[in-house]
Amino acid sequence: MKRQVPLALCFLFGIVMILTQFVPHKYVQALYKEFIDWGLIISPFALVLAVITLIQTHTTRVRRRTEHWQYSFLVFAGMIIMVCVGVPFGEQDSVFVWLYDNVQVPMDATMFSLLAFFIASAAFRAFRARSFEATLLLVTAMIVMLGNIPIGDLVWNKVMSWTPWADGASGARQWILDVLNSAARRGIILGVSLGVISQSIRIILGIERSYLGGGD
Amino acid sequence: MLERFMNMDRRIIFILIALVVIIPTLIPIRLPITVSEPTQKLYDYIDTLPSGSTIMIAFDYGPSSLAEPEPMAKAVMQHCFSKGVKVIGMTLYANTPTLAHKLMRRIAAENKAVYGEDYIFLGYRPGALQVILGMGTNIANVFETDYEKTPITEIPMMQNITNYDQIALLLDLAAGSTTGAWIVYANTRYGLKIAAGVTAVIIAQMYPYLQTGQLIGLMPGYLGAAEYEKLLNVAGGDGTVGLNTASYAHLLIIGLVLLGNIAFFVHRRKEA
Repeated sequence: MKRQVPLALCFLFGIVMILTQFVPHKYVQALYKEFIDWGLIISPFALVLAVITLIQTHTTRVRRRTEHWQYSFLVFAGMIIMVCVGVPFGEQDSVFVWLYDNVQVPMDATMFSLLAFFIASAAFRAFRARSFEATLLLVTAMIVMLGNIPIGDLVWNKVMSWTPWADGASGARQWILDVLNSAARRGIILGVSLGVISQSIRIILGIERSYLGGGD
Repeated sequence: MLERFMNMDRRIIFILIALVVIIPTLIPIRLPITVSEPTQKLYDYIDTLPSGSTIMIAFDYGPSSLAEPEPMAKAVMQHCFSKGVKVIGMTLYANTPTLAHKLMRRIAAENKAVYGEDYIFLGYRPGALQVILGMGTNIANVFETDYEKTPITEIPMMQNITNYDQIALLLDLAAGSTTGAWIVYANTRYGLKIAAGVTAVIIAQMYPYLQTGQLIGLMPGYLGAAEYEKLLNVAGGDGTVGLNTASYAHLLIIGLVLLGNIAFFVHRRKEA
């Protein structure tokens, strides 16, 4: 029963939602609108589940004294403070906005900014033309990077002014993105889409059951 | 000597990066900007919208990546307000409403736009796909009130807006995979026109959609923001300043990689 009911519901709603994409009849479309409303009601529960999972994960870390378990208390502190301020007084409360502007924004921005330093260091050490493929990647990356910045065209128009192409750096970058990149990306998108379709059919028909948890 | 250079202390690289970021930010150097076709298309589309049209901006980025999308939002909203185009803001990110609301308020104040008449901010609702699909049938079903808790039905600019049929464009300012979702669910299902302004790291993913016309325009990172500012004749905007800074950081990385490779080849020849 624990398995049959979710499988039956998945089959029923899966088939109906597919039908709503192909049948324009008003009753089918009314059903579609109804299901979307249901989805909107169900979605917030995912947030509740996420919070419960986060609390469980960090409680386990503290209980087992895993590496850096002390930081889990910071997670709890952050969560409790924001909930205590946000839930009763709302998102537009001055204290909530102050905490957001002066704690979350700088911390998030700092974490992302650090990437620039690590990328530069990693690029210097790892970006070496050791093989044909690595050289190809290196040359392409250099062209795209140069084309991304105004200095690329500035240098091109000064040094390569004898060629018939003005703004050659951004032109080459655009060609790489338009032709080589798009061809590869399109292949990936088609492959992923076919995979999603086949996986969806397996889930709707009850062949793929891993989303239910358990072994089978 | 070569080996010392190849194994250079990474703190030296960190200092160099800090310098090429700080100096051009403090002393801006004007660099010539060539407007790319995807940015030009977005500008042209908004420029030809009749006064009174409405566009929707999805602020789908978090505080970590605000540096690139914010100048884009600023430039596009400035363009919209100057043309009399109304703007509806919303987000699919739970941690963005405070950020986006403040940004919209600031840009609107700079352009003398009135809340509720020229622009509104709807805020956030959980369940990205359901939100995108739900607004296609009725925006008020998803957002009963705006971010400031005013019922949608009482907001003047929303009186004639029910769903995507009355929205001329959705501009997704994204730092993740949301643009794909907007294309698949809002463009394919409801025919909503989509444009995007994305962080530099995801530009490459957008090009297939640009070629098929599923994206009518694209602002690629700082470059896109700076290009849009150039089209608006805005001197020294956030995008232009950011692009200048990014330019020198790019140059440093290119230089380091080239020097690293020269040292690598010389060292390998010596060893052989």
